[in-house]
Amino acid sequence: MAKKLVAVVKIQLMAGKATPAPPVGPALGQHGINIMGFVKEYNEKTAAQAGSVVPAEVTIYSDRSFVLRLLTPPAADLLRKAAGASRGSPTPSRGNPVGTITKKQVQEIAQVKLADMNTTDLDMAVRTISGTARSMGIVVVDE
Amino acid sequence: MDPMDTTPVSASPNAWLELSVAVDQEAAESVSELLAQYGYQGGVAMEATPRPDARGDEPGMPYPLERDPTYPVTLRTYLPLDAHVEEQRQRIEQALWHLGQMRPIGTLQTQIIAEQDWAHSWKQFYSVQRIGTRTLVVPSWLTHTPAPDEVVLHLDPGMAFGTGLHPTTQLCITLLERYTSAGMRVLDLGTGSAILAIAAAKYGVGAVLALDNDTLAIQAAHANIEHNGVQAQVQAALGSLGAGVGLRHWQGGNVPSDQLVQPHETRMPPPYDLVVANIVADILIVLAPDLADALAPDGVLITSGIIQQRSDEVAIALAAVGLHLREYHSAGEWVALVHGRRAERRGGQAC
Repeated sequence: MAKKLVAVVKIQLMAGKATPAPPVGPALGQHGINIMGFVKEYNEKTAAQAGSVVPAEVTIYSDRSFVLRLLTPPAADLLRKAAGASRGSPTPSRGNPVGTITKKQVQEIAQVKLADMNTTDLDMAVRTISGTARSMGIVVVDE
Repeated sequence: MDPMDTTPVSASPNAWLELSVAVDQEAAESVSELLAQYGYQGGVAMEATPRPDARGDEPGMPYPLERDPTYPVTLRTYLPLDAHVEEQRQRIEQALWHLGQMRPIGTLQTQIIAEQDWAHSWKQFYSVQRIGTRTLVVPSWLTHTPAPDEVVLHLDPGMAFGTGLHPTTQLCITLLERYTSAGMRVLDLGTGSAILAIAAAKYGVGAVLALDNDTLAIQAAHANIEHNGVQAQVQAALGSLGAGVGLRHWQGGNVPSDQLVQPHETRMPPPYDLVVANIVADILIVLAPDLADALAPDGVLITSGIIQQRSDEVAIALAAVGLHLREYHSAGEWVALVHGRRAERRGGQAC
């Protein structure tokens, strides 16, 4: 019998640094999965990427078993690096841009993120990434 | 929650403020970025409850909600309840307000949670675990009457690794059932909860040295050893083996090397008839020469905590120090290896 899906939790952590402290403990503990099992597996799988933020997707089943899958770096991270911005704008709605990025760069980031978006529609991925850029105060320019 | 309510409990070092906000998936990245700036260690969790028609019965299959960007998800981050918590909460609230001018963002929700909430919440899902052919792990809040041939490990799953649920622990216990014999001297390196050391003692070995370089693990190990009544056979200590003294714990702990004992400094020095090391590939590779040195001439080494794609590296490192691979076992993505100084057990069979 197929195991029933209970929840999918994405956790954004520093590679190799997962501990039972928040957000891991409260986010996963409420689903009854073995927190230390997650911590060990995450740290083992991300050991080579120390210093980077590596999001993980934890798919939790009704028997309390789980599957951990590492995801691509956050789009916000990729956008910040491409725009040369140290952080997103605290007030993006007031038009205080922190950097610019070209449409070609957005397309490249969308290509990277496509694997996690479960769509093959690059245009849709580009729209999503462009929206994230705007929310961060990063202006998308033609060239 | 009224943020003013946080004041009376802000002195508690073991309490947290959980901040959560519901957003559509297109906004999730930018809100995650914001929460990560303030959240404890930059950690953010995103959760979506599957719709009733979600299948998700195959690991890695596309998650239905991913295809519906308008379906809301809940993002959470956590702040330690200290003197700065209200200031940080207000900053997050203000930044969310700005994002809310560009796309729909839910109201910031907060609640205080105590550390024990997640440390214990998963226990309610825990049952008696049967591992190997005759071993049972029974938590303290459950009762079980064992059959005559069953070995019962009384163990409460806690913060130390080794609850009996993880495939690597199960692989090691299955192998210990087969490889232990009366009177053996055993080293359990990276003992965690001491589950493997306790199991070996209950299978009838003579003595076990259980080492870990994590203080919390050794505290848990001492408690579990006593709870199982195997203090006479099992000695647990904050320590490591050879080059391991200079390595950090895989969970990030960092006990000064001068506080770690080496096996030869204990009342149970090498060599050992059996060494079990359920750690991780990187550490096993570094420790390969020390593991080989710790083995008696007929000794057996069980290694695990190895993900499948790295098992070759561990096997090569152990072969390079003169150990022979006898068995290879896998469970899901995890692998356990059995090595010996000789290719075959004396009077036994190689696999």
